[in-house]
Amino acid sequence: MAATLSLTGPPDLDLSSASDLSVSSRSSNRSLRVAEKERKKKKAEDPFVLALKYFSDVEAGTPVNGNDEVERNMVLVEKLAYSKGLSPEAISIMLEFAMSLRMGTSLCARVLKCLIPATLVPQEAVVRAVVWLSVGKIPVSTQILFIKWVLTVFDMIDAKDQLRAVYGFIFNFVTEENLCPFICHLLYLLTRKESVRVFRVRKLLELQSRLGRQPFLLSLLSLYKVFCPEMVMLSIPSRIKSGFRNHNMPWKSALIAVQKGAGPHVAAGISPASTTIKTNPRKRKRCHLELPVMTSVVSKEAQTEPSSCGKVVPLVQLHSFAQLLENMHRIELPAQMGSLLGSSLALQYLDCVQDESALLRLNFWLGYALHEEFLFCGDRGASQNSQEALPFLDRLLSTQHFLQEGFSCSEAFLYKFLNVWDGSLLRPQILGLLSNIPVVPSAQIRQLLFEPLMQLFFTSSLFFKCGLMECLNNMLLKWLTWHSVYALEDDLDISLNSHTSINMTLSGFKDSVMELVDFVGRLASLGLQLEGCHSLLLSFVLDFYETVCDMFMKYGLPLVVMPPPGVFYPALFATDPVSVDRLAYIMHRYKVNFTSAKSQEELTKQAFHISRQMVREFNHYIIVMVNCLWNSKMFQLDMGLSLGEDLLLKSKVPQYWASFDLVHHPAFMSYAVDFHHRQNENKMVPASKRYTSNQCATS
Amino acid sequence: MERHQNRETRTPRNNVVVHRRRKSKSYRLSYRSGLGAADSRLGWSPALTARRLNTSRKAAGISNIAERVDPGQLALLVKTEWQLSYVTPLHQFRHTQLKSYARQLSAFIAAGKQQGLAVEVEGLQTTFRVSFSLVQGMTQSDEDAESVLVQIHSKRLFARQDEPQKPVWSGWLTCINGNPDYLRALPKDFVCLPLFGCSGADGLSALVKSWFQQSFDCCFGLLEISHTSLQWLMALWTNCHAESGIQHLKMIWTLPAAPPLQVTYTEAGENYIDIEEVTSFMQGLKSHFYRHFRLDLSAGSLNQVSTALGSAKYSGRMKISNSRYMITTLTLLTECALLKMPI
Repeated sequence: MAATLSLTGPPDLDLSSASDLSVSSRSSNRSLRVAEKERKKKKAEDPFVLALKYFSDVEAGTPVNGNDEVERNMVLVEKLAYSKGLSPEAISIMLEFAMSLRMGTSLCARVLKCLIPATLVPQEAVVRAVVWLSVGKIPVSTQILFIKWVLTVFDMIDAKDQLRAVYGFIFNFVTEENLCPFICHLLYLLTRKESVRVFRVRKLLELQSRLGRQPFLLSLLSLYKVFCPEMVMLSIPSRIKSGFRNHNMPWKSALIAVQKGAGPHVAAGISPASTTIKTNPRKRKRCHLELPVMTSVVSKEAQTEPSSCGKVVPLVQLHSFAQLLENMHRIELPAQMGSLLGSSLALQYLDCVQDESALLRLNFWLGYALHEEFLFCGDRGASQNSQEALPFLDRLLSTQHFLQEGFSCSEAFLYKFLNVWDGSLLRPQILGLLSNIPVVPSAQIRQLLFEPLMQLFFTSSLFFKCGLMECLNNMLLKWLTWHSVYALEDDLDISLNSHTSINMTLSGFKDSVMELVDFVGRLASLGLQLEGCHSLLLSFVLDFYETVCDMFMKYGLPLVVMPPPGVFYPALFATDPVSVDRLAYIMHRYKVNFTSAKSQEELTKQAFHISRQMVREFNHYIIVMVNCLWNSKMFQLDMGLSLGEDLLLKSKVPQYWASFDLVHHPAFMSYAVDFHHRQNENKMVPASKRYTSNQCATS
Repeated sequence: MERHQNRETRTPRNNVVVHRRRKSKSYRLSYRSGLGAADSRLGWSPALTARRLNTSRKAAGISNIAERVDPGQLALLVKTEWQLSYVTPLHQFRHTQLKSYARQLSAFIAAGKQQGLAVEVEGLQTTFRVSFSLVQGMTQSDEDAESVLVQIHSKRLFARQDEPQKPVWSGWLTCINGNPDYLRALPKDFVCLPLFGCSGADGLSALVKSWFQQSFDCCFGLLEISHTSLQWLMALWTNCHAESGIQHLKMIWTLPAAPPLQVTYTEAGENYIDIEEVTSFMQGLKSHFYRHFRLDLSAGSLNQVSTALGSAKYSGRMKISNSRYMITTLTLLTECALLKMPI
């Protein structure tokens, strides 16, 4: 059988070429024949052809369990079936193999599931299989599967005459309880006028009297009545639309996929077998990212407690803010809180009522969706498809921005997810969620946040590092804002998040902020070293310190933390003037904060609550800056960075102590050059004005 | 450098009253208070989650559940293989409303089944009858909510008029020895029945789940029985052999080899219970396989464990064959389900 398998090429070329072989063309044909032989040989070695040969030749009763060969061949066939579909010959072989139950029933169902035709289905194969249906001991569920398959590929069967010839044979299965609906459907598709017989009508009516007016029986009977009204006296409701249920057919989506891939030349065959079958590709199993539709609570009985306000208004009926305000006191929350995410009006309401269990419901749903999509997916590879995850996370982010706080479930999710995240999947969204998390107690911040982030930071690209810096800056900004908004009068107890009410003492909050700033300091120092003080990264780091230096003045947090040397010196010796300028600005703000804190201390006679150590560090940095930029006294002993005198001399840099002053600093080189040009210009103005303007333009 | 100067600056004034939005007591607070100081609100993070996994259990105590639970219900629970899911807490679920739930669910199923039905037939009776019932006597602690059993009966298509309806689907929701802190922390209008088992047609399971989702705003997720939990179950079940005379223990591993390889190990039961003992048993088994078959079992995953007392698969299918150890098994599974809770 394998010899006749021509899956691709034209039928036996070398036979025809051998017949009209002339002497003159022999030599040229020889090479052709060699090539042809090669091709055939290759085809014979094609694993798929071998697999088909295996299935056509395999003996009945071969064991399945532990049989690697059958497994391997089966996988081959399945792969081809789902990618390109099977040729008519392959369909014949596989169907015959399956229905004959040569290797048991379990393989039978598996084969049926992958019988996706590429072009046509040979009629003979289907007829043979129908015969097997009554011969073999095929389980009922598999029988149903087979009939469903026939229904799915009905329009692709190359001819129907032989099938119609066995109409009576097929009709016999109508008495099988489970097969009946499907057989009726198949009969419906096969029925001709000559197939309508009195005994068949009688059988169907008898069935109907037993089963009640089942739609599939009615449909078939109504068709019979169309052909032979005299035989069917039954009154069929005029409203009846002929049709059958769209059985959830497993092949539909695969079939559509195969035909899409195959292009337009085969697409003609796939109009559904019955007019009423909708092309409804099997719905994806994972649909947890779909927002539920907003519906009002269905069961009125569920709320037995007498509601005092009388009529309640479901949220779904409100369409404007004015309506919302009007009905504020009698709004009923929807049945599924997840649906709130889709409507800003609903979110307004949620923000304002602060219903504990409503929020909890929303959190349960949201947490479930996040966990299922990103954590429990395991090998199912759900996270790969970002078409759904991306808009979902974007919506979640915009909701959090709208409410101006993060959901507790997304926080709990992130702590788990950071441990398995690769740092690139949906990076902007995940970092966005991360920047929304409320203050983490300092005892846990390291384990929950820092350890996973550190691993990600040091193993990821420059852009991730910059993204993380920005994210941590946003996180700090939000923490500080919460602090300044919710700080209590006694300055001891602050509530950081209106929904979470984590009661945290001021010192606890300060500890957390301190931990965060320290952590960023460590990351930045090492990151700058790793990336060769990349100015992009430096810019993000300085963004962070612009937030840090103003914590006291802007957010009222009595805490000043200086940048570590690993950040200070790269910024001071940066080659771009912007970084040095920003460093100077940051130092200036530090000074303003210190003096303000100091004057406040004198005003309120309270103990100075900013550590002396910080003041010392600040003074040290200031001395370094002034010495370096202004006084041209680099590399003095007390400066923190010391180089051996002899080493410096060896470098042969003239006046090395002045190499980082305002005039010689590499960052300001361009300004110096510019200045120089202008000096030249001034000198030359009397000589020739035109010449210098030209020179300026070129330089 | 003046660019930032115009930003509003504010010095902290210690005696200034800062008004703070007064909110009603939030769930987080109450929720947290239940968790105790040690775990705080982050109790559900992975590291702490790991800590919440018990490392030692009592040997399967024999609870005479048979005396307390209705024998019919018990027989159903025992004889069937269940597909497990976890369920987030049910909102507004009342144990007193079961009759009305039965009505609603059967209407819901009828509506769901008629979708895609092009033929409209008047007087098509609902062929499905739903019953909700309490399984009394299953609970172990005061915090556990009573278990609920859902059954769907249907008339066979070819049945005679007088033939009784047959059960086609059944499922239950339960909570046995659930973490009391977690349960106590939930607000009053939530009922926590985290473990859901069902058996029957997938279509019906999906319909029932979506009815629950819409009615009680909960979510259903597949509960896989992890490698560790399988080992625990094995340990719990084999330890009982003195009682019930275990004949065999069967374990199935799947190894990532091409072609896929299944290793089945069968042997008579032994006597261990501590996680150390379980671990050392597994270790011994692994080295045995390595020595004799050059197979490193740790490269694969344990997929299935079965003993005379029950069987469990990684995919979340579970069968309890002996009612005497049901409580122990369900306690472990309740713990697994609670670990899957998003918050």
